[in-house]
Amino acid sequence: MALMNSEFRRKIDLLLLLTKKEITLKYKRTVLGVIWSLLNPVLFALVLFIAFKIFMRIQMENYIFFFLSALFPWNWFSASITVATGTLIGNVHLIKKVRFPRHFLILSTIIAQLVNLLFALPIIVGFSYFYGEGPGISWLLAVPILIVIQFIVTMGICMAISMVNAYFRDMEYIIGIAVTMLFWVTPIIYPLNMVPKAYRIYLIFNPLTHLITAWRDIFMSNSIDWGDIGISFGISMIFFFLGILVFKRLGKRLDEVL
Amino acid sequence: MNYIVEVENVWKRFPMRRERPGFKEFIVNLPRFIKRDENSNFWALKDLSFKVKEGECLGIVGKNGAGKSTLLSLILGTIYPTRGNIKVSQKVTPLLELGAGFHPDLTGRENILINGVLLGLTKGEVTKRMEEIAAFSEIGEFIDMPVRTYSTGMYLRLAFAIAINTDPQLLLIDDILAVGDETFQQKSREALIRLIKGGATTILVSHNLAAIREMCDKAIWLVEGKIGAEGEPERVVEEYVRHTG
Repeated sequence: MALMNSEFRRKIDLLLLLTKKEITLKYKRTVLGVIWSLLNPVLFALVLFIAFKIFMRIQMENYIFFFLSALFPWNWFSASITVATGTLIGNVHLIKKVRFPRHFLILSTIIAQLVNLLFALPIIVGFSYFYGEGPGISWLLAVPILIVIQFIVTMGICMAISMVNAYFRDMEYIIGIAVTMLFWVTPIIYPLNMVPKAYRIYLIFNPLTHLITAWRDIFMSNSIDWGDIGISFGISMIFFFLGILVFKRLGKRLDEVL
Repeated sequence: MNYIVEVENVWKRFPMRRERPGFKEFIVNLPRFIKRDENSNFWALKDLSFKVKEGECLGIVGKNGAGKSTLLSLILGTIYPTRGNIKVSQKVTPLLELGAGFHPDLTGRENILINGVLLGLTKGEVTKRMEEIAAFSEIGEFIDMPVRTYSTGMYLRLAFAIAINTDPQLLLIDDILAVGDETFQQKSREALIRLIKGGATTILVSHNLAAIREMCDKAIWLVEGKIGAEGEPERVVEEYVRHTG
């Protein structure tokens, strides 16, 4: 039993250290360091304000808040995908010469990217106070749930593409295009109800539609739509298990292609 | 007596793919890619079986390309056998490529932590041994510098110091007995011998035949993925030398 515990302890330590390494390396040799994680979304919000409010003068109410409440969760997703695509290839030495759970590399990538979302939350909270009624108690319930759901779906997709990329290096380029395309077919810069009814049905196949909508609901109106949450959880589990399947299957012969 | 490593009828195949085909060749040769040509495979290990007892030191000799490193990777578990079974019942500490997990931009200390945990300790245990590891590696105040500033010798010494201080139970060593300068080589050899005599099960791949004779209880000579001779190190080494001239 004691052995089990220390082995479990070690796994946790390993995951934390790999995540810390990921975060440390990201800002190593920069002057501002982790402050960039905060500065980035602030500057982005500012630019959006200039572009959409001053130049384009979009009529929609609270458009910047509307945009950011979907964009920050999306950024966590897209950054994870982009980084994770090269994670297995980039850690050849570790994978070939040390024995450890390989999916930890992908887990730590996604956790490290989550830090950016957490740093962006204060900005969302600020908007919520400014344009709405301020964050409610429902946030404490919904935000962790949505983080978990998004984590699961991101993990599934990242496991699959990171592994496939080792065999088929064109994946990296495909992912680059696919992520951009996914951005435009997800209701991020526009609300779902703006999409003509005839096309709305297709957005259902997008794993992020309901998730992003749920994020926006909680951030902008403190409301939880259990329907959206339920559907996105179901979709995330499907992607998760498909990801595991691909990861396990192709993982057996990973050494031959790296 | 407990067997720590059991290798049963293990085969390992590597596909002998030429450079990745371009798109045109891929389309033209599609049927062949799907059928997967049996002839384009390389069998690194062919029906290999042996066992290692607890506390035993097994030496493996053989020419380059005989399958020695493949065998170690299989026992480590970073690659899987194509056919057959490998059972390993203890924590494995690889001394295959020293400093494999090092990141050049992290400091010595940061790398010790990550490497120590990768090699089987908890973070707390590594922290407790930090000074011991730093002292053994003899890198002094460079311990707080990024590893990219190290000389090759310092890099290897640090990696060796970590591996040796993680309570190895089953050591896999791939010809790394020459680490650092004379003095450090002497010191590292003594540390290894202490571990081996202290009861750590060891599998030692080496071209240093004297080391095999001196440290091992048993030896295997690998020839093109098969066992050429097995048994007393003295006799196996002799046979190996006789055949390779």
